[in-house]
Amino acid sequence: MADLLFCSHYPFSSAAKAHMAGRGMEIVSSYVEKAEGRVREAIETGKVRKVPSLSDAQEEELALYAIARMIVSCANNRYLINRYAVAEAKKTSDYLSSDASAHPEYVGDVAAEFGMRFEKSGSHFLVPLGSYLPCTPRSTDYKLANREVAAGKVLVSSHERVRMLEEAVKKKIERELPIRAAFPDEVKAAGARVLALLPRLETAVVKVGQENYPPCVRRMIEELSLNVNLPHTARVALGIYLVRAGVATDKIVDIFRGAPDFSENTTRYQVEYLRTKGYSMPSCATMDSYGACIAECRCGTPMNFRADSHGGRLARDAGLADYGAYYASLASGAKEEKK
Amino acid sequence: MSGLVQTPEETFLRKKFSAHYGASPIFVLGLDRREFGFGGWEKKIEFRHIAFRNESELRARLVAEAPLYISHSVAYYEFPDARPMPRKNWLGSDLIFDLDAEAHACGKFTCQECLEGVKADAIKLIEEFLLPDFGFSKSELAVNFSGSRGYHVHVVSDAVYSLDREARREIADYVSGTGLSFERLFWNEGKKFFGPKTGQGGFGGKFARAFVSRLSDDAFALSIARKLKKPEEKEKLKSAIAMGNWDNIGIVNREKKLSEKFDEMKLTMAGRIDANVTADTSKLIRMPDTLHGGSGFAAKRLSSPDAISAFEPMRSAPVFGGAPLKVKATEAVPALNIRDFSFGPIPSGETRELPEACAIYLICKKAAVLA
Repeated sequence: MADLLFCSHYPFSSAAKAHMAGRGMEIVSSYVEKAEGRVREAIETGKVRKVPSLSDAQEEELALYAIARMIVSCANNRYLINRYAVAEAKKTSDYLSSDASAHPEYVGDVAAEFGMRFEKSGSHFLVPLGSYLPCTPRSTDYKLANREVAAGKVLVSSHERVRMLEEAVKKKIERELPIRAAFPDEVKAAGARVLALLPRLETAVVKVGQENYPPCVRRMIEELSLNVNLPHTARVALGIYLVRAGVATDKIVDIFRGAPDFSENTTRYQVEYLRTKGYSMPSCATMDSYGACIAECRCGTPMNFRADSHGGRLARDAGLADYGAYYASLASGAKEEKK
Repeated sequence: MSGLVQTPEETFLRKKFSAHYGASPIFVLGLDRREFGFGGWEKKIEFRHIAFRNESELRARLVAEAPLYISHSVAYYEFPDARPMPRKNWLGSDLIFDLDAEAHACGKFTCQECLEGVKADAIKLIEEFLLPDFGFSKSELAVNFSGSRGYHVHVVSDAVYSLDREARREIADYVSGTGLSFERLFWNEGKKFFGPKTGQGGFGGKFARAFVSRLSDDAFALSIARKLKKPEEKEKLKSAIAMGNWDNIGIVNREKKLSEKFDEMKLTMAGRIDANVTADTSKLIRMPDTLHGGSGFAAKRLSSPDAISAFEPMRSAPVFGGAPLKVKATEAVPALNIRDFSFGPIPSGETRELPEACAIYLICKKAAVLA
């Protein structure tokens, strides 16, 4: 049976929820203030502090967690919610690491919270594919092709088990927030103050000239001009890239004109949507998993690609004069492949 | 109906298809939760967002309209006919693998060799990935011929029902070996060189097992190290690899050699499955046992995954019979064999009387018209 210590370490758990429901919660000013501090800290430093092991502090933790969620919900901004979720998840991961030795049963209880079952196998754990896939961080290490997979189960280390649970917590919070409800004015005011913290970094535009478009972006533009039906993921990535590269909506719409199912209104709406949402550019690893990566630029994200540095190296490795020549060779090579 | 004037060929095909649907039972798992899409002479999907409450409703529509292509969603929805898509309320999806014959000189008249190739791919997918790695049971796999030049494997399982696009993409990437980093399989510890054990899962284990088994082949063994001429050295290496010790004999240039062998063995299915289909949670896919308007063949459902090795598409997938039908070739037709009837080559412009199954195949291929 879950105890107060468990609940305070894992305030998102159903045990914590049940505990709170049993006690009832009053929203008092001092709590709202502290909860606002918690959210601020999460946004500014990416961290949420651990709780002292005193039962009063543990009770308080549960209330602060609940109020912090309300504040973030009032602020109602995707970037803020995600950043807050990352900080809460990070704290969970710290607790899981320390609890793994002191209260080993806690880890299994948290996993059960997400319907995940880790089965001990030597010093490692076996986890069903259906639990593994939704909760793995995007990295080559977790790429299924690089894992030991057998009989529908994936082998993970105890560190990876914690990392997966961290991911699960992050996704849970991102999914649950914002909560739509009527909140007290005090909480709303805190939400507004937290929102004001946000730098206006949404859709930061860095002018990128066409000469600096990376191979993947060039390819997508070229394919559209040849009426290739790009998958949705590629279209979104291209849209984000062009928006962030400072290309005007009209020009972006023109680029998409070649899509076989092109609709001017839909495209315009979607480009504007991307612009207001301020999505970040998928990383090269993500582009690769979309099947959209076509060269090893080693630039991390297509946004960072610059013709003189990354393109220059690609050209040198291929023994070509410059990036332009390199891209031309890539394009013709690709066409031959398709035949 | 498209409302456009139909060619005599389309009218003829629709009549034949309608008669076929009137006489054959149909079955779709979770029919009332799926979206359907119909296609005609010009497009494989002309209409979609269609839903049916039961088999008799669907069948009545097939008999009445006789679409040339019939697809249903891999997804189950609360409201399959609602639109736009989010209103359908997605509940879950089957996991699909779409295998197509490789592009080859045979072009639109898929040759026997290509059909054998894609069949081998499907068997490899099932026997080397779906059963051992993903742990699906045979009863969770529904395999059907695509009706044209490939196979579809539908995985119907609670284990995959709720997976989102990214998770499905990851599964497809695994099968294709996308993002697989060979270097990660091996590491040095002092002078020792460690790698995958034969008993382990994933590509490491696949490679270790394939490598150990290939060592029995002398040419292969010699390409690794001259020492492996001796049977006792071979055995020594084999038992070391079983434990993950990959070099107890001193292999020169071992990383490079192993990496070449890995590529040579083609353990992944790179380029052999369509990852976009697997990742797509709202894909419309050919409904098993319906006719394919590009061949007149049925997208024949196999009784079990094991039945695939004995399945011969050109013999078992055509549904129309032997009644004679006159057609005129509108392009050169190569020598073909459909339902054990050999015909062709037919030069462009020539008229032939053929068994219906063969004639309809040519009409569907748009290589012949009614004469």
